[in-house]
Amino acid sequence: MRILIVGAGEVGYHVAERLAKEHHDVVVIDVDRDRLDYVESHLDVAVLEGSGVNSTVLEAAGVGRAGVLLAVTSVDEVNLVCCMSVPPRRGLTKVARVSNPDFYRGGEALRPSRFGVDLLINPERELALETFALLESTAATDLTLFAGGAVQLIGLTVLEGAPVDGKTLREIGRRVGRRSLLTVAIERDGETMIPDGDAELQAFDHVYAIAAEDEITRAMELCGYSPAKLTRVMIAGHSREAFYLARLLEQHGIEGTVLIADPEMAHEFAVRLERTLILRGDATDVELLEFEGVGETDAFVAFTDEDEMNIISSLVARDLGVKQIVTLLNRTDYLPLARRIGLETAVSPRISAANAILQHVRRGSIQNVTVFKDSDAEVIDFIVSEDNPLIGQRLEDIQLPEHAILATIVRDAKMIIPQGSDALQAGDEAIVFALADAVPAVTELFPS
Amino acid sequence: MRYREVLHVLGGLLMAVAVAMIPAAVLGMREGMWLAWLVCLLIPGFMGLVLFALTPGKVDLSAREALAIVGLGWIGIVLTGAVPFLLTGTTSSVAWALFESVSGFTTTGATVFAVIEELPPSILLWRSLSHWVGGMGIIVLGVAILPLIGVGGAQLFSAEAPGMTTDKVQPRIATTARLLWGVYFAMTLILGSAYLILGMSFFDAVNHAMSALATGGFSTRTASMGYYSPAIQWVTILFMFLAGVNFTLHYRTFTGHPREMFRNAEWQWYLASVLAVSAICFVALGVSEGAFSFELVRRASFSVASIHSTTGFGTADFAAWPLVAQVLLLGLMFMGGMGGSTGGGFKVIRGAVVTQHVLDEIRKVLHPRAVIITRVGGKPIREELVLKVLAFLAMYMATHAVGTLILATLGNDLVTSLSASLAALSSIGPGLGEVGPAAHYGHMSAPALLTLSALMLLGRLEFYTLLVLLIPSTWTRTHRTPRPPRVWRRQHRRAVVRAGRKADPMSSWPSHP
Repeated sequence: MRILIVGAGEVGYHVAERLAKEHHDVVVIDVDRDRLDYVESHLDVAVLEGSGVNSTVLEAAGVGRAGVLLAVTSVDEVNLVCCMSVPPRRGLTKVARVSNPDFYRGGEALRPSRFGVDLLINPERELALETFALLESTAATDLTLFAGGAVQLIGLTVLEGAPVDGKTLREIGRRVGRRSLLTVAIERDGETMIPDGDAELQAFDHVYAIAAEDEITRAMELCGYSPAKLTRVMIAGHSREAFYLARLLEQHGIEGTVLIADPEMAHEFAVRLERTLILRGDATDVELLEFEGVGETDAFVAFTDEDEMNIISSLVARDLGVKQIVTLLNRTDYLPLARRIGLETAVSPRISAANAILQHVRRGSIQNVTVFKDSDAEVIDFIVSEDNPLIGQRLEDIQLPEHAILATIVRDAKMIIPQGSDALQAGDEAIVFALADAVPAVTELFPS
Repeated sequence: MRYREVLHVLGGLLMAVAVAMIPAAVLGMREGMWLAWLVCLLIPGFMGLVLFALTPGKVDLSAREALAIVGLGWIGIVLTGAVPFLLTGTTSSVAWALFESVSGFTTTGATVFAVIEELPPSILLWRSLSHWVGGMGIIVLGVAILPLIGVGGAQLFSAEAPGMTTDKVQPRIATTARLLWGVYFAMTLILGSAYLILGMSFFDAVNHAMSALATGGFSTRTASMGYYSPAIQWVTILFMFLAGVNFTLHYRTFTGHPREMFRNAEWQWYLASVLAVSAICFVALGVSEGAFSFELVRRASFSVASIHSTTGFGTADFAAWPLVAQVLLLGLMFMGGMGGSTGGGFKVIRGAVVTQHVLDEIRKVLHPRAVIITRVGGKPIREELVLKVLAFLAMYMATHAVGTLILATLGNDLVTSLSASLAALSSIGPGLGEVGPAAHYGHMSAPALLTLSALMLLGRLEFYTLLVLLIPSTWTRTHRTPRPPRVWRRQHRRAVVRAGRKADPMSSWPSHP
């Protein structure tokens, strides 16, 4: 499929990278030649210099044959105009990145279809939602919701001396019952693997487990965490992500504090957020953090625009005794580094954006796709269509690719951990965990 | 300051006073005082006409000119308003006449007359009319109906209308003024009809309806509202409360958005305050009298609504109530009605802003680096506005203190001085002590009455409009561009004729040599 990406920024680059890996024909359009050179030298995509709102440029990029148009520059209005300037056509999905909160206030008047856009995505808000879910499940480093939240995929680091430390999956399964909880992947020393029953869990392993909503706390207990309720959160920075997160906290009645260095932005936040405490100060100001009792907060979220600032302030917060810390990192090459120095929970805006976009680009049977931060793994949520040849076959007879696992079947909003004797039915949701090289093969198994 | 333009608008306002006087004058002429009332009519009418005719037409006003017009206009209005009291022989004291006139136009409702029934009906009607015209504002009325003013109407409007901010219900200020006056007129009609249905005489109904909607307080009876039936008193309670509500909200209700009133934060504060103080007064009265009855509910809520809305009608002598109730009522005298209502006082919205700001300051002690925006009902208030409100508070307190000092120096006791000064400043009428609801201001000396008149005007116009008149720079002449010499104008006319079109007159002026 031909995919046009307008804007070669962080989001555009990352989406192009993932789509190119899946053998799509990607054309990246940007006005900045240097940026395009960088893209061209790193990715197997075509580039075109020009403005995304110029229809000649879009035509030259082959918009007539394209299946997807992604307008993901950092300017909302450019993205909208770009989508508006391309006439609607069957088989073309137009996606615009719009992150200004005011655009979502318009209700009916500002529905995407009025702009000739099929989908508005808001990476900043996606990231804030993801972070909020992470904060809610205190210990988790990753969290993805399926079937409206009934089924959750959680990423956890096994603590030393945890109940599962040193046990094989088979032993654990015998203890907790295999029907409610399934370990789908283990990440150790930067390698992701899909375990079988003989795999042994060790302390500091990063474990991805799929569980029903009410089993999530048990999963955390097994990895050595004690459950806690979220009441106070401190956020550093004045990014849009920080704004969305602060607003989410307000909506859930959680006490939020935002640290902002810039006086004008601090004022802007104070006007927009009614119940959040806005403090003017630097995120690395140890004295201020101590005075405001950061040690007594449940979580610290570093959401400034600079990765370095986020890392330093996260370290300061950890030093002052904050248990849960979420660090925003724009540069994905910092992710392994951050984990090595103990900042377990790092989030990346471009991965969030890529997740949001990829979910919708691979249309058809796919409901939801989640990409994990520093691994190549993806979780794909398929709908089993009526003419799928797999229907009725016993699962042990189905040949899944080596690096993929059928994690869960959701049937009538209930979660089923599949056994070899189970079979798929039409209308089921099949949640598959797969490493990147197995994704195309898995996708072929579930045609729309 | 361009004097000719200012005088032009002032002339228009004087004519408006004359028009407002017509109903009272007609009544007076039928009573036989036709010469006196004719002179009363002619003074503002003739002066206004002369000023109006001798100065240029429709003008654009600057902010300074607007303030001067409102300040001078009000002084002129209350002066001409005092004339009927003197000419009809109602009183021979200039101070009394002036006090009564100021008390009328500022909707205070304090009177120097001991027995109201002795006054001629034409004078009674004139007192109520002055309330009614002063309530929504005679200048607002001028903006609404006289095609006098181009740009600058908004400045006139906000210099006269009380409250922290002026909100326009329509983009054009003249339309806004017209609609607000329309709502005011309609509500007066409704209340008047209600009074008629409940058995009040036509004359009394007209007077009381105008007085209540303006949050005035003049009555045609010495016993004020206490003369009438409980049903009439209940209706009055309701309408006194409503007159203390921002008329923009009434306009929204009339146009089918009644929910806006219930959602309005200032309204919620106002209602809560009326209910809470009524309840406390009820309990205090019940305890002191040893019996609780439904009649007490009426007495308590009547006085509270009357004081809170700054009307000043009376059914009970609250100066004889338990002290706790008296002190609470003093607090309400200070607070007054909502911004944009016909009521006076500090205004509920300002009270809310100050309260919120104080709470925010307490929070700032806990979090010295916090950036806190003062909010009322969730809506952010600009810091600049908060400072203005605080300055207004300081001004209010200071003026009250000076007023109390002067009254006490003139030989009044402390409670009387304190409450009379506040009752004048907040345009209530009755105070405590010797000026309680059962008493009147007739025993006060002329200097004391003039002091109170000044306080009433200051309170009604919210200080600044009058105080800028004292600043010399207000009166500096605006530099006018001199007209070009006649020769140039002739040349220009010819050039226009030659060009055979209507040229922009400024474009072809020859440049200065």
